[in-house]
Amino acid sequence: METGNEISKLVQDVGGLVTLPHVFVRINQLVEDPNSNIADIAKAISQDPSFTVRLLRVANSPFYGFQSSIDTVAKAVSVIGTSQIRSLALSMSIAKSFEGLPNELVSMENFWRHSLYCGMIARALAKRARKYDPEAVFTAGLLHDIGELVIFNRMPEKAREVLLLVLDSIDDLPVNEAERQVMSFDHGQVGMELARQWGLPPLLVECIGYHHVIGEAKHHPREVALIHLSNVFALMAELDTLDPADVSTVDPRAWEMCGVGADVDLIEEVVREVQDQIAEDEKLFIESRREAAAAK
Amino acid sequence: MATAPLSRPPQVLPGFEHIRRNWNNTYGVYAARLLPGEYYVTSNDEGVYTTLGSCISACIRDRQTGIGGMNHFMLPATAEVDSWKSTSLSAATRYGNFAMEHLINDILKNGGRRQNLEVKLFGGGRIMVNMTDVGKRNIDFARDYLATEGLRVVAEDVGDVFPRMVVYFPSTGKVKVKRLRSLHNNIIVEEETRYISTIESKPISGEVELF
Repeated sequence: METGNEISKLVQDVGGLVTLPHVFVRINQLVEDPNSNIADIAKAISQDPSFTVRLLRVANSPFYGFQSSIDTVAKAVSVIGTSQIRSLALSMSIAKSFEGLPNELVSMENFWRHSLYCGMIARALAKRARKYDPEAVFTAGLLHDIGELVIFNRMPEKAREVLLLVLDSIDDLPVNEAERQVMSFDHGQVGMELARQWGLPPLLVECIGYHHVIGEAKHHPREVALIHLSNVFALMAELDTLDPADVSTVDPRAWEMCGVGADVDLIEEVVREVQDQIAEDEKLFIESRREAAAAK
Repeated sequence: MATAPLSRPPQVLPGFEHIRRNWNNTYGVYAARLLPGEYYVTSNDEGVYTTLGSCISACIRDRQTGIGGMNHFMLPATAEVDSWKSTSLSAATRYGNFAMEHLINDILKNGGRRQNLEVKLFGGGRIMVNMTDVGKRNIDFARDYLATEGLRVVAEDVGDVFPRMVVYFPSTGKVKVKRLRSLHNNIIVEEETRYISTIESKPISGEVELF
């Protein structure tokens, strides 16, 4: 089968298993609709009481660190921003959405911790660079590896072969290259196809698709490069190291593309910051998974 | 710079023909890949590498002749786990002794001298939360074993929560340890579990002679 077809087939097969929640789909429509306003979005959110509670919890958490307390949905939407609320809604629901796609190869907790680290680092770098939408790149980081979950679930034998190949190589064979060797496509392509079918914004589609091959980015090279870097720094945070030799290689073009100064102190600062914050943010974004796991 | 591969791997010592060896471009040498339960000794300029979860690897060499090798093992879980210091050796420590003694004996048998041996110790990670710390048990065993044998550990990277990739070069004593991401934990645990179930079902037969 041709690679492109094989990827679409793979993604179609998971269509019924992973669905985005209604509240996100609704917010997404309203944000795209030029005739809608903050009140419409607040109303759509209020119709999902569980989402409303969680949204207010995030809005009042150190993740935002607002001075005054956010006690209504309307206030949350206005201070966070409509486009940002859309990103946030996706971030808050993504781990839960993938509960329908379990696998036996990796622990979901470990998977989402890496993704969350990536999102947190992207957001922290974006805030310092001041020309990004920090919520959008946070979501991009959180979603960057979703293609892996599709592969783990649909092609467990191939996926196992890939992971063993990576473990077997002294030379730090990158996962995406191992995937191409074993299956002729990689998790970036699969994730990108899923993001497209979901109708996610192009920025997310490109970050998911090209975070390992940043030269292929078309419309959002800065964000793609930022996610590429954040992915590597997320590994530093996970492995508790600041030594670039311990983690995957950074594409040398990435620094210039994303416009964040290549600065060792900055890396250390951001890595330490997210390490301090991870437990708190896991409660906000991955919590439903953790609660489900604890209930077992 | 990549070196042109040697046409074939260096002569293998008797008893290690089954260990898989591949040319490695990064280091410009052949490298032997150890699976759980295996060990490898060489007198040549080549590497030995393995991936460790809660398993442990002792890297031992004669610092004068450069002959040395690596093992990769863990203690099977048994009810008698804590009794290994007692005079009656439990099945668990019997297995650990077996792994250590085979490595040391093969180094000595091939020309290494006991007084020249230097040891490095790796692994024993606590890679599964909510599980008893089997990694620590392996570390404790290895340290106690080496202390009893009077062998000094010159370097180690053990414990903590990470799996590791260890690459060892017996001829120089150099070692490269890389922490692996938690994404790999389950696969590593699977491999180690498969290995531990084979040793639990197959008791060690025969005695190991100490030099």
